[in-house]
Amino acid sequence: MSAAALPAEARMGNDMARQFAHLPEADAVAKIADHIGRFWDPRMRTNLRAFAQTDPQALDPLILAVARTL
Amino acid sequence: MTETIQRPDAWFAPEPDWGTPAVEATDLATVTIDGTTVQVPVGTSVMRAAAQAGIEIPKLCATDSLDPFGSCRMCLVEVDGARGTPASCTTRCTDNMVVSTKTDQVQRLRRQVMELYLSDHPEDCPGCERGNCEIQSLATTVGAAEVRYGRPAHARREADQEAPALGRSAAYDSSNPYFDYDPSSCIVCSRCVRACGEIQGTFALTVDGRGLGSTISPGGTDFLSSECVSCGACVQACPTSALQEKSLVELGMPTRSVDTTCAYCGVGCSFRAEVRGEGEDTQVVRMIPSKAGGANEGHSCVKGRFAYGYASHRDRQLKPMVRESIDQPWREVSWEEAIETAATGLKKLQEKYGRGAIGGISSSRCTNEEVYVVQKMVRAAFGNNNVDTCARVCHSPTGYGLNQAFGTSAGTQDFKSVEQADVVLLIGANPTDAHPVFGSRLKRRLREGAQIIVADPRRIELVRSPHIEAAYHLPVLPGSNVAFVNAMAHVIVTEDLYDHDFLAERCENVEDYLGFIARAENSPEAAQEATGLDPQMVREAARLYANAANGAIYYGLGVTEHSQGSTMVMGMANLAMLTGNLGREGVGVNPLRGQNNVQGSCDMGSFPHELPGYRHISRPEVRAIYEELWGRTLDPEPGLRIPNMFDSAIAGSFRGLYVQGEDIAQSDPNTQHVEAALRSMEMVIVQDLFLNETARFAHVFLPGTSFLEKDGTFTNAERRINRVRPVFSPRQGKDEWQITCDLATALGYPMGYAASSEIMDEIAATTPTFTGVSFSRLDAEGSLQWPVNDAAPHGTPTMHVGEFVRGKGNLVETVYVPTTERSNRRFPLILTTGRILSQYNVGAQTRRTANNTWHPEDVLEIHPADAEMRGIKTGDLVEVSSRVGTTTLRAEVSLRMPAGVVYTTFHHPVSGANVVTTDNSDWATNCPEYKVTAVQVGVATERERAKHAGEELVGSEAGSR
Repeated sequence: MSAAALPAEARMGNDMARQFAHLPEADAVAKIADHIGRFWDPRMRTNLRAFAQTDPQALDPLILAVARTL
Repeated sequence: MTETIQRPDAWFAPEPDWGTPAVEATDLATVTIDGTTVQVPVGTSVMRAAAQAGIEIPKLCATDSLDPFGSCRMCLVEVDGARGTPASCTTRCTDNMVVSTKTDQVQRLRRQVMELYLSDHPEDCPGCERGNCEIQSLATTVGAAEVRYGRPAHARREADQEAPALGRSAAYDSSNPYFDYDPSSCIVCSRCVRACGEIQGTFALTVDGRGLGSTISPGGTDFLSSECVSCGACVQACPTSALQEKSLVELGMPTRSVDTTCAYCGVGCSFRAEVRGEGEDTQVVRMIPSKAGGANEGHSCVKGRFAYGYASHRDRQLKPMVRESIDQPWREVSWEEAIETAATGLKKLQEKYGRGAIGGISSSRCTNEEVYVVQKMVRAAFGNNNVDTCARVCHSPTGYGLNQAFGTSAGTQDFKSVEQADVVLLIGANPTDAHPVFGSRLKRRLREGAQIIVADPRRIELVRSPHIEAAYHLPVLPGSNVAFVNAMAHVIVTEDLYDHDFLAERCENVEDYLGFIARAENSPEAAQEATGLDPQMVREAARLYANAANGAIYYGLGVTEHSQGSTMVMGMANLAMLTGNLGREGVGVNPLRGQNNVQGSCDMGSFPHELPGYRHISRPEVRAIYEELWGRTLDPEPGLRIPNMFDSAIAGSFRGLYVQGEDIAQSDPNTQHVEAALRSMEMVIVQDLFLNETARFAHVFLPGTSFLEKDGTFTNAERRINRVRPVFSPRQGKDEWQITCDLATALGYPMGYAASSEIMDEIAATTPTFTGVSFSRLDAEGSLQWPVNDAAPHGTPTMHVGEFVRGKGNLVETVYVPTTERSNRRFPLILTTGRILSQYNVGAQTRRTANNTWHPEDVLEIHPADAEMRGIKTGDLVEVSSRVGTTTLRAEVSLRMPAGVVYTTFHHPVSGANVVTTDNSDWATNCPEYKVTAVQVGVATERERAKHAGEELVGSEAGSR
């Protein structure tokens, strides 16, 4: 799936994963999850969780890991 | 209704003119002038000292906004112990100086000089009669009743191209839409020439010819065709009616003035609205920039000075309107019916889809008080946090980035600080177009010897213009800012140019950051592929910035509107911390805000995750303040941001929107996506001056007020809170904050204030950085820069002195992550967008003024090589296609652009620049990536040309509606 065709939450999540990819995985997951908790409306988190279940291969592994913590 | 504030100084009187600029010196000189003794800073002119002693010395070529010139010979005085009769404007006070300004000798000389001026000044000068020409009144003052040399009988009129007998040879020039030049009234005092150079820094004017034949000339052409930028400085400086506003001729002299604040860019200039008439008959004669204004100190630009006519444009909608669906015509209704329709619609949506199904967007063109009540309505009456502001699409990365680095979401300096800067690093900003009054201030400092590094893909005016030459122009490729700023920091660290003491004492994460930035991947050589910059030039620029006694960073939307906008803001903060360039005058990290109240709207809790004062909604102790005051439980979760609202609308969970003063259908990226979102909603309420593009999708229209009708405050880019005072009462009968309060009340949450000052009182009572702010304090002090509290009762011009707001400055590892928006064979060029001097944002205001004279349509700037290979010439209609859409624009082949990058503005709805911009956004804040769109450009097909012609016709019809 091209980036443009992804749901917004998946696209934004993948963007964030790229930003934090330089960190150890645990740190990156914690930072991204914290950011999402502070700035995303709850329905967006719900959408990301749902997308992680239906289309996990379209998500960066980091954001997939984040989705499981939300 | 707004209550007009009765202030003794509101009645018309020109601002006092002290003759020459103030001198800053600690040593004082004691001077005796006509028997009166005064103390003035050493170096002060005799003319200014006399004015301070209450003695007015006649003058023509002197004014306190310009350096003394000493040419008119009207201000002659005698000084004990000195020979002759020196000009008081160029004679500086020394201790124990004794001056006489009214001796027989100087009075006789003045009469003779005045006689010569009168011999070249028409007897029927309309300015003298009207009162805006000083010649006749000065002649009376000095007693020059007789003219032995004859006098031209008539002033030249536009139709009369013959020169008066002894007058100037130039023709009357009415080419500028806002002011005329009448050479027959001109005394060639050069005030206009000097204003253009010293104040504006454009150097468009000169004196042509010699002796009696000398004349003021805008470079051998007329004003409209010249380099003149219509800032109005020459008109303001002119002591006669040679340069005068057309509006003054049309309406006559003003009878009173109201101090207020400009409604355009984030400089937030102070103005005196000079008006005639009372009540509904009030007319603005002209806007004069206030010398006392902290942001502008007497200067202005073509927008603030002249482009205010939109407030009374025939397109203004003054009646509330409703319609059942967006394919139906509007129906004018009462305020009560409109409010009730909106409230009923919103309530039904919440009943059907849930509390989070509706939200609101506020505008940075509205006052602090107006946006405060919008977020209050959303949080307390809607019961959710779905509130956002247009800063989302411009400077939200500034808010995030500076908060992470320093602990608060604001620039660090006041504008005046640039007068102490030695090296300015300007990134992604074009101040001479987008923030012209600051641009002039910056140019003045550069003429004094400061150096500038310009990092911008375009060859902007500050790269090279009269008396300006950048030390380095770094045409950084769009999308690579973070690679660039990291390369600068890499040089500073690896060449040991950084401030060890500052980092040790004031910053944290120092070792981690130094290790990160020293890595080879951050070197200028490694960054070259991304940035397109010569590594050696980057190294030299980094050394110049790091070695400056005072290095200051200024930046604009060329930084923020990227997918790494927030990272870049933190990268610039790193650069300033590395070099110790924070916490004093002349340094800092300074965002140039797009709209006049971007800072204020952010301060007022307009983001969905923050309450006023940048306090996160999840903090129970902060929510408790508002829950107690507002009597409602607040949702601790962040709400939807603007792009999230659109996505959720299309997905179906977001069904209703209240939009205050923002044209999201034109200003937000990927127009097709925005329109789909708006079309999918069941209740869109637009509150605006005009039926804008967004109103095409609205069900309720609530007419708003212009800045000339508002009573409140704007906060500019330097955190300066300025008063906005009403010139006349709301044309549509209701203050904007009152409309919001009425809607909240109709939704079942009674909200009301007796006056807007009460809203500011509530802000001050609940926001620690605003504790000392009130309308009365602002009226007394002129303006205040927050924080204003017990620790800083008179405000805070410079932030982070001694300690950052967050304690230690936070050095963040700013890894460069390229945008996913890439050029390829199909879309080989990168489109970037920006603003032009005469227009403002989506043009809703400026398109409804004579500013269209300079920029009647958006154009696509393209490098000659890119144009040639596509067969494009200047003036051709070209098709611009991106991955999301296609639009047509007229091409302008320009060496301002680097090869591979094209540029346009977004001021006209017809051109639809945002039809092609994408959904890409800043990873942290969702700020759209307007600055990077991969496109292809080609000569438009016949079909596209026909379509564009049709749209132009529609656009022009809309403009004249």
